[in-house]
Amino acid sequence: MGKIAPLTKIIFTMMVSIWAVALSSPLSLSLVVAAQLILMVIGRVEIKTYKATAFLALFAVILFVIQYVFVHDIVLALITGLKMMAMAMVFILVLATTRVQELTAALVSQCRIPYEYAFMFTSALRFVPDFLNESQTIQEAQACRGYSTKGNIFKRIINYLSIVKPLVLRAISRSETMALSMELRGFGGERCSFSSQVALGITDYAALTGMAAVTVGVLF
Amino acid sequence: MSEIVIDDLSYTYPKSVEQALEGISLTIESGSFAVLTGFNGSGKTTLCMAIAGAVPHYFGGAMAGNVTVGSLKTTESGICDIANTVGLVMQDYESQLVTLTVEEEVSFGLENRGVECSEIARLVKEALQMVGLSGKERQHTAALSGGQKQRLAIASVLATKPSILVLDDPTSALDPEGACELYELLYQLNQDHGLTIVVVEHDLSLALPYASNFILLENGRIEKKGTPAEVLQYMGIKQQYACVLPELWKLKLGLETDSLCFSDWSTSEEAANELLHCVRSKEAEKSA
Amino acid sequence: MLEFNDVSFAYHKGCPVLTNLSLIVQPGEYIAVAGRNGSGKTTLTRLIMSLLKPVKGKITFESVDTRNYSPADMASFVGYVFQNPSRQMFHDTVIEEAAFGPLQIGIPKVDAIKYAKEALVKVGLDGFETAYPASLSKGQKKRLALASVLSMKPRLLILDEPTSGQDQQDKNAFLALLDQLHSEGLAIMIITHDMSILAERAERTIVMCEGVKVYDGLALELFRTYPIEKWGLRKPVAVAVSHRLSNYGVPFAATIDKLVLELKEVGRSGING
Repeated sequence: MGKIAPLTKIIFTMMVSIWAVALSSPLSLSLVVAAQLILMVIGRVEIKTYKATAFLALFAVILFVIQYVFVHDIVLALITGLKMMAMAMVFILVLATTRVQELTAALVSQCRIPYEYAFMFTSALRFVPDFLNESQTIQEAQACRGYSTKGNIFKRIINYLSIVKPLVLRAISRSETMALSMELRGFGGERCSFSSQVALGITDYAALTGMAAVTVGVLF
Repeated sequence: MSEIVIDDLSYTYPKSVEQALEGISLTIESGSFAVLTGFNGSGKTTLCMAIAGAVPHYFGGAMAGNVTVGSLKTTESGICDIANTVGLVMQDYESQLVTLTVEEEVSFGLENRGVECSEIARLVKEALQMVGLSGKERQHTAALSGGQKQRLAIASVLATKPSILVLDDPTSALDPEGACELYELLYQLNQDHGLTIVVVEHDLSLALPYASNFILLENGRIEKKGTPAEVLQYMGIKQQYACVLPELWKLKLGLETDSLCFSDWSTSEEAANELLHCVRSKEAEKSA
Repeated sequence: MLEFNDVSFAYHKGCPVLTNLSLIVQPGEYIAVAGRNGSGKTTLTRLIMSLLKPVKGKITFESVDTRNYSPADMASFVGYVFQNPSRQMFHDTVIEEAAFGPLQIGIPKVDAIKYAKEALVKVGLDGFETAYPASLSKGQKKRLALASVLSMKPRLLILDEPTSGQDQQDKNAFLALLDQLHSEGLAIMIITHDMSILAERAERTIVMCEGVKVYDGLALELFRTYPIEKWGLRKPVAVAVSHRLSNYGVPFAATIDKLVLELKEVGRSGING
């Protein structure tokens, strides 16, 4: 999957979503899910991607059960579960096989999405691990001051504030530093280039043609 | 050539009544290794921000006087243009890093400036090599150690080839080994690449072997500036700074009398050699 | 008081962060823990606080296994001051902040306020009861963080890098405060990179390297005989200089004050032989 351009993958994501919406037999939807699984294997994704997929599958099963309990139509319930699975899985697949910087570059230079918006996506991802770390440290710091999660729900919610407040304060100071850093480094200026190579190649055109054919087949 | 010229600079943060900086006049020559020191709240960070142009461009507030870096007057240039001359590594350098991977971080400033792709690749490689992070291009920033994150912050500001590097309290989160390595790196950048270095430091013994200038701030004013020896001598006389003196100088000033004077030690090696010489000559005197 | 019996810890199998650690902390000791970043110092203190549970071995406090204690339970025995005090603070006034701990561990409100006030007096923050914690100076915040655990009347105090980011004035004031608490009988364990704390204050020094306790004993002995650079530590100036002059009748010294005295002595009496 490494040689396929990010734009192709973005289009692929949209196409899979269209297929998932248009298709309405459990078999064809299963095929879409299976194809994605095969692509994951070919793309040699990490273990955590499979874990995420398994989690998604669990979610799909729950959806299936709920649907079945309320509507008592096993085929409809199966279709709903599979549709959800097919649509959500493609995001995991694409994110796992594409570097985020390439996605950003494609979104900005080929899809004409403003750089600021595309960048917001990247920087949000950048701060997830730090944010988790930070909240763990604060939780530990509070635990060391006798804070405990025992007690009734209201007490717990009030106690939870003890973690939220320092976390928010830290996030604010952090975003201020970040904003200054971005300004110092010329963010938001007119000109902008990308170091990632995102141009389409022969494989991309082949893949796009294939997708178009499938889409035509699915829709008509 | 004077790289940084600060002329009667006073500054007050917005919503604040007290002046953060008061009548600062300071010249830092090209190729210097200047160390800013002083107690917390003495204005060290603000002075760094003023050199990088974030004061007053980013923070607002009331500024009087002039700051000139290279050929730019900071009040008359955009913050991004100033960044082409001054690279700033902030105290909270972890938050200064804004992208996911090492490579992206270094190319971020270059992409924003519209540098050619092939040129970006070359500059990124060069900058990472300078700070010793080659081979880590694809790593996630979050997975780096504290010292590595700091090196990355340095590389990301060096990529645009500034002639001045400003670091605000860079060693506070590092272990002794990491702190020494950082100073070795800064000294190498200073000597081999001719970068002018300005660094904020509480622990003067770390900076002593490398520094060419010490600047002591107190309550937003310059209390004393000059060569490390001049400033340390001054600190030795003023009681309130006695605790700031590096161990080496506590030893020197503790031993010196009217008749006994040592040279200006900057490493314990130098001190040991001179003391050894002293003790030996005393011994020779005695046996004579 | 506190005992580690052959304790090992790993976050992931096969990647030990702490290996076969045994140590005993006696009441009233002053211990410094040194070593590189990532050498296992913080893991050690997190194990003490029951924030982590040992994978192997046993930790006991007053002969009771701490495995079943939660961090909140441990908090009434051991006060842990984090490196960055702002992470511990979330109340609107200094007194509420200091009283939070004792209230959490079930001390009645009247007593909790009393303990908090006493703790604030100890750290020199009396008169600041109604101040907003975020408006305090760096040094004051650090002392407030200390007061907030002192109010729980711990018997052991753990401080993670208490001097980092502080200027020399605040640092000396804070260390003097710890000396005072120590003289009142409180045991102190201080994680630090500052060699002068080892040389001047600690009665006992523990050095960690790659998850293993490589030294446990007097700091003077450590500086005198061990290759401490290998463990990421730095020789104090006095140690380096006195070592070089040892052939000329200058005795070993770990602090500058001692070295100055010794050298003056050598200068006065001359050298024999």
